[in-house]
Amino acid sequence: MSNINGKVYAMNAITPMKPWKTWILRGFFLVLGAVKPLQADLINLSFIEFARWVIIPRRKLPFLGDGQKPEDLQYDYLLFFSNFNGTWNQYIDAFSAVLSKGLNAIWRWSEKFPGSVPVTPFKEYIARLQFDTDYYYTAYPQATANDLKSAHTVQSALESFAKKSEGLGPQQFRDEYLRFVIEVQAHLGETGEAPVVF
Amino acid sequence: MANQSGSVYGLTILSPIIDDQKAVPSHDLQIRKYLAELPVGVDSPFALAPGTHLARLVVMDDVIYVGMPACEEHLKSKYLVFESNCDGDLESYLAGLAKTVPHHLDAIWGHCVGYPGARDVDAFIGYMKACQIETTFYFAAVNDKSVLQTLRALQTQRAVADFISEHQGHDPAHLQQEFTGFMQKLDSTPAPKPGAGNIERDIKTGGRNE
Repeated sequence: MSNINGKVYAMNAITPMKPWKTWILRGFFLVLGAVKPLQADLINLSFIEFARWVIIPRRKLPFLGDGQKPEDLQYDYLLFFSNFNGTWNQYIDAFSAVLSKGLNAIWRWSEKFPGSVPVTPFKEYIARLQFDTDYYYTAYPQATANDLKSAHTVQSALESFAKKSEGLGPQQFRDEYLRFVIEVQAHLGETGEAPVVF
Repeated sequence: MANQSGSVYGLTILSPIIDDQKAVPSHDLQIRKYLAELPVGVDSPFALAPGTHLARLVVMDDVIYVGMPACEEHLKSKYLVFESNCDGDLESYLAGLAKTVPHHLDAIWGHCVGYPGARDVDAFIGYMKACQIETTFYFAAVNDKSVLQTLRALQTQRAVADFISEHQGHDPAHLQQEFTGFMQKLDSTPAPKPGAGNIERDIKTGGRNE
């Protein structure tokens, strides 16, 4: 088991929800998906590479016959999968501090959710409903979410500068080059081996 | 569609694991053993097959009881959870896996109920779709770039940083000449392999509450 690969941590969590409440949550996610400004805090936190919430209705777990016993559940379940940079504690702390309203809106429909503030009972709750990852792969283990965004900014600026600077004299080239350096200078942080975190 | 964010697809699959009292070790343990030894770097099946940004495989033993007054209930099967963040079209992605790493897929999903094997690509895709759960809300920090574009961008970022630091204060004509050479070299350099840079460590970290 390892929840970590390079600079990403794989979190899995599952919570039970009364089936009638899942429709409220579906409505919330529909609004969250449609109104992009509501995702601003999630985007600005910028240490989540990918995340997803999956509602599993109690009668919709895959059933393939062939000797499999059908499930008989009373609750729907909310699965949460996150791929984030940093440690477990940093992640939960930041989530609780910055996204508390959003988290409450998502998990308040789950059984026994204590609220995301104060953080201590929230951490206890997450630790109880988290389960570990058996295998974790990333195509770019040395990069964080910010590295990815910066790399694409540099790539795009370089392509644009290369096109713009074709056929220029040396002096004009240097002026354009300096503009290019100013544009990318905040996006040149080095990627590399991840630190060992505890 | 909630499975998609831009050009990135959020695939969630739950495959029921065979519950055979006579199997020793049990099928879920056999999956776990195989996954524990599966490479996570450039030799990972997800690095060899095209299109995976990040993926995980998890044996879900049961649902979690959160305590009174909630009801305690249990699953009748264990499930293999496959969570993948991949490029574009689902069927092409699954076909890519089936054609590139069928032996790994068979070694893992061969312990799951109804798995038809990866040699028959259409049957494999049909099976995976039968086990798919619709993602309710999907977030991707970068949702308009492929794996290859991202690996190339990271390579460019490193190269540009080096070029800038090595060419401070150069005269314009020399700078221009060097830049032309730099672009040619960058264009002809192959993109890094997916999964490259992974460091195998003896100490496994990343448990809860670390």
